[in-house]
Amino acid sequence: MVPAEVDALAGVSLVIAALLGAVGGLLAVSRVDHRPAMIAAAGASTATAIAGIALVAGPAVAVRAGSVLGYDLFDLRFDALSGLFLVALGAVGCAASIYGLGYHEAGRSRFETLAYIVFIASLGLVFGSTSAVSFLFAWELMSISSAVLVLGPRPGRPVVRAGYVYVAMTHLATAAIAIAFAAVSAASGSTAFADWHRASTSLAGPARDLVFLLLLVGFGTKAGMIPLHVWLPRAHPIAPAHVSALMSGVMIKAGIYGLIRFAIEALGGGPSWWGVLVLALGAVSAILGVLYALAEHDLKRLLAFHSVENIGIILLGVGVALLGLSAGAPTLVVLGVAAALFHTLNHALFKGLLFLGAGAVQEASGTRDLNRLGGLARAMPLTALAFGIGAAAISGLPPLNGFASEWLTFQGLLSTGGSVALDPITRFAGYLAVGALALTAALAVACFVKATGMTFLALPRTPGAQRAREVGRSMRAAMAGLALACVGVGLGAGPIGSVLAGVARGLGSGIAPVGSLQPTVAPPTLGAYDPAILGLAGACVGVAILAVSMAGAAAARRAPTWTCGILPDPAFEYTATSYSKPLRLFFDPILRPDRELHVELHEGTPFPRRVTYRSEVDHLIESRVYGPAHRASIGLSQLVRRLQQGTLQLYLAYSVVALVILLLLARR
Amino acid sequence: MTPEPLLPGVMLTVIQLGFGLAVAPLLQGVMKRFKARLQYRRGASIWQPYWDLAKWWAKTPVESETASPLTAAAPIIVLTATIVAVLLIPIVALRAPLDGHGDLLVVLGVLALARFVLALAALDSGSAFGGMGSSREVAIATLVEPGVLLSLAVVVAGAGTTDLGRIASHGVAAGSAALAPPLLLAAIAFGIVAIAETGHEPVDNPDTHLELTMIHEGMLLEASGRQLALLTYAAQLKLVVVAGLFAAVFLPMGAAADLTVAGVALGLGVAFVKLMAAALALGMLDAGMAKLRIMALPGLLGLSSLLALTALAAQLWLPA
Repeated sequence: MVPAEVDALAGVSLVIAALLGAVGGLLAVSRVDHRPAMIAAAGASTATAIAGIALVAGPAVAVRAGSVLGYDLFDLRFDALSGLFLVALGAVGCAASIYGLGYHEAGRSRFETLAYIVFIASLGLVFGSTSAVSFLFAWELMSISSAVLVLGPRPGRPVVRAGYVYVAMTHLATAAIAIAFAAVSAASGSTAFADWHRASTSLAGPARDLVFLLLLVGFGTKAGMIPLHVWLPRAHPIAPAHVSALMSGVMIKAGIYGLIRFAIEALGGGPSWWGVLVLALGAVSAILGVLYALAEHDLKRLLAFHSVENIGIILLGVGVALLGLSAGAPTLVVLGVAAALFHTLNHALFKGLLFLGAGAVQEASGTRDLNRLGGLARAMPLTALAFGIGAAAISGLPPLNGFASEWLTFQGLLSTGGSVALDPITRFAGYLAVGALALTAALAVACFVKATGMTFLALPRTPGAQRAREVGRSMRAAMAGLALACVGVGLGAGPIGSVLAGVARGLGSGIAPVGSLQPTVAPPTLGAYDPAILGLAGACVGVAILAVSMAGAAAARRAPTWTCGILPDPAFEYTATSYSKPLRLFFDPILRPDRELHVELHEGTPFPRRVTYRSEVDHLIESRVYGPAHRASIGLSQLVRRLQQGTLQLYLAYSVVALVILLLLARR
Repeated sequence: MTPEPLLPGVMLTVIQLGFGLAVAPLLQGVMKRFKARLQYRRGASIWQPYWDLAKWWAKTPVESETASPLTAAAPIIVLTATIVAVLLIPIVALRAPLDGHGDLLVVLGVLALARFVLALAALDSGSAFGGMGSSREVAIATLVEPGVLLSLAVVVAGAGTTDLGRIASHGVAAGSAALAPPLLLAAIAFGIVAIAETGHEPVDNPDTHLELTMIHEGMLLEASGRQLALLTYAAQLKLVVVAGLFAAVFLPMGAAADLTVAGVALGLGVAFVKLMAAALALGMLDAGMAKLRIMALPGLLGLSSLLALTALAAQLWLPA
């Protein structure tokens, strides 16, 4: 290892993280008990988070090692942008690892524990790689190790099918990225990212647009952007909760990292349709993601669709930044990138928390089906509180962190609409995105009232939910830590926003007009949001109301819920399916709900013996795009199979024909 | 965010908060009385909401056996959020008591927090009516929110800021130019969703006693004693917030430009008149309209978003 430029804290923390990671890997292989490895992983993650914080505000750290055929497998340079993603990785990685100490699905096999350690390490490498080979190596390591974790030790048939979709989509992503990298490397004459902004001048016209589209497909697939999201709702329900937390909290953000690093920093943006396209994809991902989540009653699938939604919100920020680059409006670039980065960090925290909460619910009650849960708040008060905080944060409610970044995104979109540098159609697109984000936020509130209420409130709907007990100490500690982080980042949004605006201003030389690094200047918003002061004001008001309402109050009398004269029964409660019914009907043209009601009567009476109800929504993109594509590819393979006759002579003939064609082409 | 002299800021907070808290039940009383008179009934006294609050305050609350601590916490959070919203809106003067600490997006966020907590608490008792009210409340909010934001975006586009104090000052400075067609359209758009946001006909019936048609009242069905008093008070205060927001954005004339005694006194009087006008308008709607079927709401509330988008398009393409 040859350290080139080193900031003491960041450098030392990164070395400690690497060493602890290596120790963790060794422990994972050598011990049957997964816990020592998990403790090492938690330590490595903590060191990563510290390094990330040092990097966001300080100078970059570069390391180079592992030379193969003249290319460095580990060609690393961690700068402020890497630092932000390292903070997210460290925070979620630490919580997930501590959670894994007490979680039954963690450490199912030594191989899996090793894959878990490799997964965290590869994420760190992705965020730090500074040349194409190193990046793709880390990227594949990340994809493969996560696939191992999704599939688990002894996958059944449905799991294998879901895992296959994940692996296939991941390969599509890598292929698109590799082609884009090859094109940019050829244009700039270097595989080092530092040289790639040169390509922004030598790459032009359709080739440049094509590179952007390839990057969008590659990184968009990893991020779970609609229409490339199909792997997400399949992979998450089968992965263990702590892996889901990392995958949804951090890994899909690698797609966002790629878009910011390459489309914004290296290419320096492009024509305004790039920005409009990203805005449109973001809006569609946000709205469809949350609508499908609403129709869902499997808690983890619901959360997976919310990842699609939140990636959409982050993409709105990226779109604003791209529009800013196209029009030479630095305020939009700073606002857009800061909003995207802030929501990336926040989504890592609250989605990590929610997936850990979902794992705790499943561990305690044996089910993830919202229609079979209920009443868990009494047995699991801390899980309920932590999940509730995560739910409020993801719903974008002040004073939690989700509101701060959605607020910044709104600021970016409203500034886009008001920017005189852009043409009216683009500005109108900005306003359409404002409406889309408002709709998304309101739908998210609806969905998380449903998810939280159906899981934790009222009476348990099944014996499994009835028997639920609070989960172990390490799992509670992990959830409490992330919940506190959501509150803390929410209240500290002011200074954090300023630091992130500094990261945006410091993004490479690709966007020189953005200005020099000024880490303490707030993003150029149209208004103010000061959560610390508002939180203080709210706390004063709340305490006053509490004091007044406590004074001389009689203790509440407990009585059964009024159910028109009969005893309360869980069957009277609204279920997740009934709760989202008005919304399924409002959004009928998109969701196309399909319901089936089947009533069996007692012989000769009007009284039902058995009622079965089934309700499903149509996932338009799967039924209209992937279905036909799937059938077409099978048809094509059938055609191609006719070429395969099994005779050697025929194959030799193919080779001769191919050679002749190639020679003819080469002669020209 | 100019540095502010401490005393006027604190004085404004006390005056505006006191005004809002004092007048909120009266607005409901006047509204109900007006509605009754329009329906050829005599109606209760305009002070009745105060007596109701006092009555509930003195009663022992009855909590559901299935209730979690959320049932006790929710009324306090909901009222706190609504009061913070009151403090963020320039009602009496051209600057809010918490001026420079939160813009109009924050007001909407705080109201969403109140809705989230209330809708969640409505599920706590396991009553089907609570679930029904909660489910409808959050569903209708998804239709309201885009309309609110887009109609406010028209104003933001005009004033170039999301800060409510600066928007109000801009509106006063613009004078009659504030009646430009895009702003009128935006005001209509905001008015439509404001009806839904405050829970009035034709979206919700605030006086219904039929559980199956309740939305907001359905969520309060299991609340009693001081919890009911706090939640009802928060709902009354929400009218001050929504009408105050409308006035600050579309009709800021008359609010105190600087914090002199005469200016603030005039501002108080004007604010009282504006809020009363809003209460009378809602009372008229309540008396004159029937509740729409829930499936007809997307048409009505979607109209608001469309009007606001039309206003935005007009602002972008039509010469000023």
